[in-house]
Amino acid sequence: MIAAPRSRTCALAILVAAILANAGPGMAHHSFAMFDQTKQITLTGTVTVFEWTNPHAYIEIDVPDEKGTVKHWSVELGSPSILMQSGWKFKDLKHGDKVTVRISPLKDGRPGGLLVQATLPDGRVLGNGPGRGPAQPTTGAPNQ
Amino acid sequence: MMQRRHTLLGVIVLGAWSIALVPGVAHAQSKTDTPDFSGVWGPYRGGRGADPKLAPPPASALALNPEYAKPYEARRAAEAVANSRGEPLANASVACVPYGVPSMMSVAVYPIEIIQTPKQVTIIAEAFSEVRRVYMDKPQVKIDDVPPGYYGRSVGRWEGDTLVIDTVGIKESVQYQRMPHSDQIRISERMRLVAPDVLHDQITITDPVVLEKPYTYTLAYRRMTDYEMVEFVCDNNREYVDDQGIVRLRVREK
Repeated sequence: MIAAPRSRTCALAILVAAILANAGPGMAHHSFAMFDQTKQITLTGTVTVFEWTNPHAYIEIDVPDEKGTVKHWSVELGSPSILMQSGWKFKDLKHGDKVTVRISPLKDGRPGGLLVQATLPDGRVLGNGPGRGPAQPTTGAPNQ
Repeated sequence: MMQRRHTLLGVIVLGAWSIALVPGVAHAQSKTDTPDFSGVWGPYRGGRGADPKLAPPPASALALNPEYAKPYEARRAAEAVANSRGEPLANASVACVPYGVPSMMSVAVYPIEIIQTPKQVTIIAEAFSEVRRVYMDKPQVKIDDVPPGYYGRSVGRWEGDTLVIDTVGIKESVQYQRMPHSDQIRISERMRLVAPDVLHDQITITDPVVLEKPYTYTLAYRRMTDYEMVEFVCDNNREYVDDQGIVRLRVREK
């Protein structure tokens, strides 16, 4: 199911944008300008593959609409290292899992987006790296 | 006589063998009068209640020679416009190539690992698994004798508690924050513990061709005890540049 887009800019999106905006002397891997971080949409669907890869992890999901027509979406996450710092593990999703993701969609309208937060089958809600969304670090998180 | 000779030979062989068994011991320990930077270091962000003295000082102003300043500013302006449209312009990161020196010293929130021995300090960045080697107490060579690359040639020495590193041989496409530079670029670093678990790296870029005056910025790190570095191989890069020179994300049909 695709929930209605949130038109208002929420504080979280601003926070994410600020963190991803490459402030300070460090480098970011790439510009996140291709994502519309003033918008968020919520997708609920079935995971086809969870790619725990660099430079980014991806959740591929099939999302049915109200009529049951399935559309496929690619959701970009941080890298494994960054995800581990907010409690993710490489086995947290697998083919066939039901997942709900809130994303900032691609500005060019194609079915893809940047993860804001994911609700996993076991009910955990995870963000997209430290400071990116409602991180709930588990004991597996690296030392801070 | 024969027995004595055998015994002597045995002692020599045993001695050589035992030295061979522990070849790293003599070199693995730093001189006692120098600090030990070995370990994993993540970006230090300070935070509430943190000692302001541990925060890095602000960077100096960037002073490019006029002929380089104009295209640099034009490029920055074009990037800002493109980003606001959601159509970022292509740059080196699209190809997933490493950052090189000095950018690799601070990539997003990724840590670096320092392995310090008297003869060599090795710095490994988690992002892109980049490696740089700093040869200690060796003279630097002429810039023109170093094939331009991502890491160049680095030599280091201790000045009291400060590790001073000199790097030359960075190729022109390897840029910090997309600052232009010539083949005459030289990068000087001063690494020092400002607290037992907080390390500063003051980085100064000089370039007599492109820069009017040196550019200096400082990175701050916090020690990450027991952190195990995560592998990073860029084997799922979904960004590409379209025929308009715009960075796109490859999405999948199914």
